[in-house]
Amino acid sequence: MTHAKIVTRLIELLESLVASVENFDQETALVGDAGLESIQVIEYLCEVEDDFDIVIDEEALSYVNTVGDLAETILKINLGKSS
Amino acid sequence: MSLFEKFSQARALEQALMEMPINPTGTIISEVVSASEAIIGGQLKIMAGTNNYLGLTFDADCVAAGQQALLEAGTGTTGSRMANGTYQQHLDLEIEIAEFFDLSHGMVFSTGYSANIGMLTALLNTEDSVLIDSEGHASLFDGCRMSGAKIYRFKHNDPEGLRKRLSRLGEAGKDALIVVEGLYSVRGDCAPLKEYVDVKNEFGSYLMVDEAHSLGLYGENGRGLAEDQGVSDEVDFVVGTFSKSLGSIGGFCVSNHPELSLIRYASRPYIFTASPSPSVIATTRQALKKIKNCPELRQIVWSNAQLLHSGLSKLGFQIGADVSPVIGIPFEDREVALTYWQDLFNKGVYTNLILPPAAPDGGSLIRCSVTAAHSKEQIRVILDAFDAIKNG
Repeated sequence: MTHAKIVTRLIELLESLVASVENFDQETALVGDAGLESIQVIEYLCEVEDDFDIVIDEEALSYVNTVGDLAETILKINLGKSS
Repeated sequence: MSLFEKFSQARALEQALMEMPINPTGTIISEVVSASEAIIGGQLKIMAGTNNYLGLTFDADCVAAGQQALLEAGTGTTGSRMANGTYQQHLDLEIEIAEFFDLSHGMVFSTGYSANIGMLTALLNTEDSVLIDSEGHASLFDGCRMSGAKIYRFKHNDPEGLRKRLSRLGEAGKDALIVVEGLYSVRGDCAPLKEYVDVKNEFGSYLMVDEAHSLGLYGENGRGLAEDQGVSDEVDFVVGTFSKSLGSIGGFCVSNHPELSLIRYASRPYIFTASPSPSVIATTRQALKKIKNCPELRQIVWSNAQLLHSGLSKLGFQIGADVSPVIGIPFEDREVALTYWQDLFNKGVYTNLILPPAAPDGGSLIRCSVTAAHSKEQIRVILDAFDAIKNG
């Protein structure tokens, strides 16, 4: 799965949590722009983990600010799984 | 950049709180009248926001035990056990706390916070994986982070979510440590420990349960939620504190793993902290006897919990289904929560105000707790105060 496809899917998964994802892209910050509260971030990340069938450790998440960052992290995890 | 620039947010919060008639996060208790009442701001308040679940802080036998220890062994130990010596009473408490839980080994720490930090940093290192309930106490998260282990959160009280994550971890899941609490202290809901044990056994992982708020309240012998759910033997490490139901201060870990004794050589919060003072040890040991010998205290606190829970439900507050001595009342609007807290206070009831980001659902919350020391009349006053604010 490419970075762009992961970004698209991550934005789809945000739809259930926020009013509108119309202007979201890889630069959208999960907390600042998307407006997720801390509890929603946890819910969202759990949903993302289930959707991509992965686990993301807290250290990796500490570098995630935007949708694009999260996609990059998922890409790395998937690469690790396939290597 | 100034060293203190990073405190700008804290300064703004402090200013907002200071502008309130009384700062809910900086309550000054000028006099403790009893286990259920105190003088705050010159007025008598019913304390409905403590962790004094069994009301033992003024128990005559506990107070006498503390006084006797002060006379016999002095005010403090002045150092750590490894550097300055272990008092016989430290060992006695470790044996007694293990016996109380019907487990083989016990270890005492100076606080509940240091017990969690001390156990997690010693048990885990960068090679390990730990899976933790997303609403776990800060001390549990801090311990996990300080250990350097890989940390994976799962949704609160979600054994299936835990199972999925352990499955995805593959080999790393086999030796992973699962960390949950018994009774959660903010909302007052309980962990599905039996289901967690099933998951742990499926993967061969280890389970740590923090019974800080459930000790003395749950189970036939008051050992906590694991006893209540019939899984005491399946929990690898029980951690907890002496500062709630036992009315003292200190923390502990009990376990059937003989390696617990090795933790003493690896746990920096144990090695480098002054050991608990003799009076603290004495009151803790006496309070432990009370839990064992006075089951009626549990009956009283549960009767009070039922009364407050049903009363708040009837008043229409959206509280959790689990009846427990802790009741969290959620408010979407922070200002409404602040006003409620202030109005309750003005009506003579002290509760705990929990604001974002401390509240688990991102909203605000008023935390109420009841104890065995509360009279039925005091519970009625608490309910009347809620009623007057909501419907008055």
